[in-house]
Amino acid sequence: MSLKNLFTDWSRYRKGIEEGGFHDYEHMWGMAVDLNKCIGCNACAVACYAENNLAVVGEQKFYDGQAMHWMRIERYWDEPDLGEDRVQEFNHHGASFIPFMCQNCNAATCEPVCPVAATYHTPDGLNAQVYNRCIGSRYCSNNCPYRLRFFNFFSYYESSWPEPLHMQLNPDLTVRDKGVMEKCTFCVQRIRAAKDKARRENRKVRDGEFLPACAQTCPTGAIVFGDLLTLHTPGGGVGETEVANLWRAHQVELGKTKQTKQNPELRGYRVFEKLNTEPCVMYLERVREV
Amino acid sequence: MQSKDINEDIRWAKINEDVLRSMENPRMGYWLAVGVCLLLLALAIIAEIYQYRVGMGVGKLNWPHMWDLYIATFIFWIGMSHSGTLLSAILHITQADWRKPIYRFAEAMTTFTLMTAGLFPVIHLGRLWNMYWVLPYFSDRGIWPNFRSPLVWDAFAIFTYLTSSALFLYIGSIPDLAICRDSATGWRKKLYTILSLGWRGDDRQWRNFRKTYLIMACFLIPLAVSVHSIVSSDFAMSIMPGWHVTTFPPYFVAGALYSGCAAIITLFILLRYFFRFEDYMTLPILDKTCKLTFAIAMVWTYLNLIEFASVWYGHDAVAKELLIAKFTGPYSPYFWAMLILGSVLPFVMAFEKMRTNIPVMFVVSILLNVGMWLERWMIVAPTLSMAYHPFAFDVMWANWVQWFIVLGSFGWFGLLFLIFVKVIPSVSMYEVKEMIFHRRHIANKEIAAVMHRRATDPKPTAQPASGQAGGQGSPGTPGLEGA
Amino acid sequence: MRKGRILALFSNFDEAFAAVSDIRHYKVPGVSVDDVTVISPIEHPEIEEVLGERPCHVPKFTLVGALFGMTFGFLFLTSAQATFLVQPQGGKPVVPLPTNFVLVYEMLILFGVLFTLVGFILGARLFRRRKSLYSEKVTLDQVGIELEVEEKYIEPLKELFNEHQALEIREEVIK
Repeated sequence: MSLKNLFTDWSRYRKGIEEGGFHDYEHMWGMAVDLNKCIGCNACAVACYAENNLAVVGEQKFYDGQAMHWMRIERYWDEPDLGEDRVQEFNHHGASFIPFMCQNCNAATCEPVCPVAATYHTPDGLNAQVYNRCIGSRYCSNNCPYRLRFFNFFSYYESSWPEPLHMQLNPDLTVRDKGVMEKCTFCVQRIRAAKDKARRENRKVRDGEFLPACAQTCPTGAIVFGDLLTLHTPGGGVGETEVANLWRAHQVELGKTKQTKQNPELRGYRVFEKLNTEPCVMYLERVREV
Repeated sequence: MQSKDINEDIRWAKINEDVLRSMENPRMGYWLAVGVCLLLLALAIIAEIYQYRVGMGVGKLNWPHMWDLYIATFIFWIGMSHSGTLLSAILHITQADWRKPIYRFAEAMTTFTLMTAGLFPVIHLGRLWNMYWVLPYFSDRGIWPNFRSPLVWDAFAIFTYLTSSALFLYIGSIPDLAICRDSATGWRKKLYTILSLGWRGDDRQWRNFRKTYLIMACFLIPLAVSVHSIVSSDFAMSIMPGWHVTTFPPYFVAGALYSGCAAIITLFILLRYFFRFEDYMTLPILDKTCKLTFAIAMVWTYLNLIEFASVWYGHDAVAKELLIAKFTGPYSPYFWAMLILGSVLPFVMAFEKMRTNIPVMFVVSILLNVGMWLERWMIVAPTLSMAYHPFAFDVMWANWVQWFIVLGSFGWFGLLFLIFVKVIPSVSMYEVKEMIFHRRHIANKEIAAVMHRRATDPKPTAQPASGQAGGQGSPGTPGLEGA
Repeated sequence: MRKGRILALFSNFDEAFAAVSDIRHYKVPGVSVDDVTVISPIEHPEIEEVLGERPCHVPKFTLVGALFGMTFGFLFLTSAQATFLVQPQGGKPVVPLPTNFVLVYEMLILFGVLFTLVGFILGARLFRRRKSLYSEKVTLDQVGIELEVEEKYIEPLKELFNEHQALEIREEVIK
């Protein structure tokens, strides 16, 4: 059977991302994070812990670098690009920070290195992690330039949620045991719920119908989430989603590995674009007074 | 120093006696060595059980240091396995007959280092009870391993290499096992009767044997190169600075041969000392092995420099920063130690006085391997501590769990090797006989002339009358018994 | 006619080869050199000059094994990649050829080696009981010549071997 597959679909199996890839994408979930709006309050990180049953590892293990922070606010006190003499001045204004989560790259470097195919690319444009299949070789984390994959070094569930805290666990997804790699999923449980609902009602998923926990929680609306492909508006029409609009407005597109635009109004970029990993998260540069 | 690789006047019966003697009546030192190995192994087993029950975090593995000593030691052992192939297969094909007294234990080392190396990918798995998922077996879930992953290539390559090198070792020792069978008694007789597969040394068996051995040697050379290239792909196929290096495959292969040759020197000296193999493992052979090691050390040094140079001129900011960090950062003492032990120390072997000085070579060969272990660690750790994302810069030092398992692997290897020297002859008896036979005939001008004339004659099948073939040498011809 | 087996042991190759040479020249009428089996502790480098070319089929096994490993390996890998659980990863094609070439290379060698082993076992007739005439001295330092002939040739062969200073002669009759 698979041999028959092979001969009938050979050309399709041979399509890399340059020719559009294997999938005919249903969706391409993506994000736009406006750093101008971000106030670094960490609400997104807390929401992520609550939504995704992330283990709270405690102080010692955090220092040991064994924490689970799918979504995190990274702080930087130094910006070498500004030059030595400006650093003090820069520090005076406070740290720069960036909310960081799995970039769901379309050409993810973490995917092809998994020995058991526990991580792969879904027709939704997501970088999926199959916990059941994971054997914990940790190669994916090593090969992620963003370092956004986290490993269950211990059976964290044994001590993370002492009674009655276990009652707050999200029933929509699992609690992971030791030896499994995990990472931000764009709240795949919410995506699935929305898609299921849309299918029951015989329609497409609408823009803004659901949000991942971080976007939902962000008090300033810095995180915009949606489908990068098309929009199905609440009224039933077809147009562009908010996130796709933002991407277009800031001239960031999939398949581009370098930002060449000169206009300072266009602040969009993707992290490590030159590595050609095709991340689906666009950041809008922060404008600072210096 | 004696000038000949081997004394041509050794009687064949003495070879059998000497080698078979080494396999019997283990002395106190042997049991002591077994005890030390068992102790190391026991510590590793305790650490592994602890790690298995509690989780990978007990060894201080963390984010971003997902790999550390385990993978470094894995590469170290895989690398060590390459020299057996080099000595045995390459020197067999090129007909360098000085390999004959020392190739057997080198081949055994290949097999056992692979068996040791194979443990590490299993140990380092987060869920090692599911490790068989890496193998391509038919399952009703219809799911296969990910053939794109260099780790699966590793699984294929190591399986192939282990199978082939174990068969190479085994097939090569069948005639010797027959010798053991013919002189052993008791349980050994039964064991060798089974192991020797009914070998009796008739011309049909020798003919097929020679062909098979040659073919296996031809397979093993490209296989060995491909295996370490594939192991290097674990790093070279990734996107990380310091790993994504084009020269990694040859660099790894050179490093592998290097550490393997150093290990051969160590074992050579140990076997020579403990089993009194002075007649077989002679100083000229040690001298030749050291020369080979020196040459490979220089290849390795060159590839090291090339790697630095290409990173330097490549102007990839991230890779360059990492390179500078290797020289100056938290890992710099180990990096410099690796450079000194790996590139400067081998110059000791440039001097013949040193090459044939056994205590010096023993220390040097062990230090070379320390350097090579550091090299593997310096490949794995700095890149993890300092890759693309500055938020994830971190330095981690392993704790006792990782170290116990690493040390235990030496105990495991030692134990396998100690069992080997008592079960399989560690000097190839039949090949040493061949070597002596050959050299005696080359040395004897009369016989050499006869052989030469015969080689140019038409084949006997083409001309049945050329009955001289038997080589009815003159009465003074030295026969098998020698002088 | 009953058959018999004879084994003569010599102290070195020269005497043994001289005896074989005599057989080649039909010193014993009716016995051909093709019946001769030389048993030795090492392989004499020029034994073919004495016994004549005898076939060795191991390389054929190797060739078949390597070709099988290549074709089977490639079909196995690609068809496994193209099952219904297709997993596109990292923007790479579902059937990535560079990967498969690496693995096919390994499988070529693996099957080449395994088939060579089978060829060796079949060709060298291993896994059989040693014949009762076997002498343990041939793994030490003596060279044996064994023949399986009709019973009437045993006596003249014995004479021939004694002529060439055979150290020991064993014979048996096959029932």
